[in-house]
Amino acid sequence: MTAPAEIFDRGYRRYEGERTGVWQAMRSVLWHTIRSVLGIGRKGRHKVFPALVALVAFLPSIAFLAFAVLIGDMLSEELRPPYWELFGLPILVVVLFATLVAPEALVRDRRDGMFRLYLSTPLTKPTYLLAKFAAVMAVMAIVVAGPVLLLLVGYTVQNLGPDGFGAWIGVSGRILLSSVLIVGFMAALSLGASSLTDRRAIASVGVLGAVVGVSIVVGICVDAIGLRHELRVLDPLGAPVEMAARIFGEVGPAGESRGSAATPTWLVFTGVAAWTTVWLSVLVTRYRRLTAV
Amino acid sequence: MTQSVSTVRSVLLTHRLLVRQLLTPGRLLALLSLGAVVVLAAVGVAASDEVEDPARTIIEVMDGLGLVLVVPVVSLVFASASLGDLREDGTLVYLWLRPMDRLSVVAGAYLAALTVSLPLTTLPLAAAALVGKATVDGVIATVVAASFGVLAYSAAFVLLGLMIRNPIIWGLAYVLVWEGIFARFSEPVGNAAVRGYTRSLLANLSDVGLGPAAEANTSTAVLVCVFVAAGSLAMAAVRLNRMEVD
Amino acid sequence: MSNVSPPPPPPPPPPPGTRISSPTPSEPLIGAEDLSAWPGTGPVMVEAIGVTKSFGDVVAVSDVTFQIGSGVTAILGPNGAGKSTLFRMLCGLTQPSSGTVTVLGRNAGADREVRGRIGLAPQQDALFDRLSAGAFVALAAQTHGVVRAESRTREVLAQVELDVDDPKPVGSFSKGMRQRVKLAAALVNDPDVLVLDEPLTGLDPIQRQRMIALFGELAERGKCLLVSSHVLDEVARLGSNVLVLAQGRLAAAGDYRSLRDLMDDRPHRVRVGTDRPQQLAAALIERGSARGVTVLADAVIVDIDDIDGFGRIIAPLTVDLGLRLDELVPLDDDLESVFRYLVERRR
Repeated sequence: MTAPAEIFDRGYRRYEGERTGVWQAMRSVLWHTIRSVLGIGRKGRHKVFPALVALVAFLPSIAFLAFAVLIGDMLSEELRPPYWELFGLPILVVVLFATLVAPEALVRDRRDGMFRLYLSTPLTKPTYLLAKFAAVMAVMAIVVAGPVLLLLVGYTVQNLGPDGFGAWIGVSGRILLSSVLIVGFMAALSLGASSLTDRRAIASVGVLGAVVGVSIVVGICVDAIGLRHELRVLDPLGAPVEMAARIFGEVGPAGESRGSAATPTWLVFTGVAAWTTVWLSVLVTRYRRLTAV
Repeated sequence: MTQSVSTVRSVLLTHRLLVRQLLTPGRLLALLSLGAVVVLAAVGVAASDEVEDPARTIIEVMDGLGLVLVVPVVSLVFASASLGDLREDGTLVYLWLRPMDRLSVVAGAYLAALTVSLPLTTLPLAAAALVGKATVDGVIATVVAASFGVLAYSAAFVLLGLMIRNPIIWGLAYVLVWEGIFARFSEPVGNAAVRGYTRSLLANLSDVGLGPAAEANTSTAVLVCVFVAAGSLAMAAVRLNRMEVD
Repeated sequence: MSNVSPPPPPPPPPPPGTRISSPTPSEPLIGAEDLSAWPGTGPVMVEAIGVTKSFGDVVAVSDVTFQIGSGVTAILGPNGAGKSTLFRMLCGLTQPSSGTVTVLGRNAGADREVRGRIGLAPQQDALFDRLSAGAFVALAAQTHGVVRAESRTREVLAQVELDVDDPKPVGSFSKGMRQRVKLAAALVNDPDVLVLDEPLTGLDPIQRQRMIALFGELAERGKCLLVSSHVLDEVARLGSNVLVLAQGRLAAAGDYRSLRDLMDDRPHRVRVGTDRPQQLAAALIERGSARGVTVLADAVIVDIDDIDGFGRIIAPLTVDLGLRLDELVPLDDDLESVFRYLVERRR
């Protein structure tokens, strides 16, 4: 009588299991992009820069919270910054973060050959870009929404927050809406600028130029040359913050002008939407022309 | 068949190779645009009726745009790429495994960065100063301050390119955060930033006050820029000698 | 099926395709402790003594010692064995964590002059993509201080069959052409020591033949060539000296045929072609002349410990049995078999 036998390894076999499809592929791209950008699963030195930049972005909120803790009783509402201003105070740091995030998310895949591998999966160019866009938005949200939400929660704990549950929901809703719009704009701009080159370094400078350079030009046109102040809706640094101010029902510095009426709110939103559309078009056009070989 | 490669020849060979590698259309276009922004600003100053003292205002623009943005960013892009790109691409071995001393290679890379960065900074800034109705002293001050800025920044960023994998990001962090934010609020930090010394040169040579963060005297400013350059290049040579080359 | 009836009693003849073998004893390693100075002629040109290289917790090369003189030496090993790390240490591109490695008696990382006597064709594909082949090789010549750099550039590019006047940038070249540019740049300074990491990759068969011939010529001129390759039959044509690395350790060094003889724990495998393989197989088993046999339709594959002794008895045996002896072919005397035996034992 022969002993019972069992084969443990037949070698190569076809995969007969479940195929999870394009949504799972997109989720995978999204998660791995976030990991790559934040240095998760990589050596410590890959985490240093995003951590440092995020910390600097949180500094204004931390400072205001410190004031609240130390002199909370004497801190009147006039001395507390409006929440929408916290989108503007660390704006340069947010831009710096964008110079890291988008090139790392997009350029690396083209340089390393991962882009063509992704396209050999259920992913198409549009679904790939959508996943990347979502990943960049998620990461940017850390430095855009994070400081403001921290301030809201901190003030609430210190009993300096919005009065009543309804008001609190209203403020947090405005913060989240502002964050989504700002983050969407920054993601479109940084990804669009990064799509134009295969070197991460140049992409980073390109992102900086697309934001700071254009902002300087707009400032020159309005302040020095004296063109209409409504042109500020095209300022990539000021317009998103102005948009947040309008969501909170206020007018920010970019919307004001001496001797004339404030810039209409619809124009502010149109300016941000226009830039978002332009850079998304650049991104889509560039990738449409890209061959994955 | 072979003879030893002299220091001068090593520098020249490295310089010639790297100038060619650095001058890509994308980089040139991006950084010429940056220079164009400054010229545009100068046009605005000259055309504006609200500017009372254009000679003073244009110096402030040279400070706020030229020395704060154009000089460090242009220097960063080219200097960090001079040896940094070779390191990233895996082509550094073709300069490293040669009978050339390391300091010559670093010097050649530095000179290549200067060859490209100096014209891309000083020419637009000088043009902007002229267009913005600066005085002769103002134009000279702009060119001198920009030149010393490029000298110091380029050396530091050549070193940065050899030390870390993503030098542009860290360089931008230094420019935007350390010099742009921290140096403004703290004098000790300001003393550790190149920008304070280039601004001092601009202020002293143009005789336009630019605030408390620009009050180092001319000799100090020049010496600091030279020491930063020399020290960075020496460290870069040591680094090149000891680093692992792929 | 044939019947064999030797007294007493005859073992049943094995059916065709049957493999019979006795259990192998545990195998001692041919390790670093067996290695000593390279027995070749001429001075030692490359030497490593107790070289170890670690990257964090990963030990890439462990306690490797060898000496190499002129001629071609193949560095063999599976992927991740440490070959490229060893090459990088030889060229001074990375320093060993412990031990010393010298080329022409000096450390290439620290000695400028010896760097001019090394030619390296690295494994990675990176070149200065915007330069033409002529400009790239000319740069190599100039940075090596080659006298008459232009004529020398032309000469080495002709050797690798590239046109010095072609203005196309190397970035547009195929893999094989890029490989030839690398080789030309490595040869341009007429180095005493050539370190070639996978030099035949991307080359078509004719180009490979030409490169192998070129390497042979260089070896005959007294150059020391270290070649790493996975194409073992071509490596075997380059020469018989090998260093075998496995898991970072030096598994063997020397002439691979001599190494094969040293492997007394591994029976030699020989194919004996005959008209009656089953009868021959039975006879060999009965006489104890073979450790194992495999019977095929027209031959017997025999595993034997004493190849020389077998060679003496096989012909008289077939005559005694009235068999025809068609062929006698050693099956594992080649480099690939030696390499496989050395590497397999490490897994």
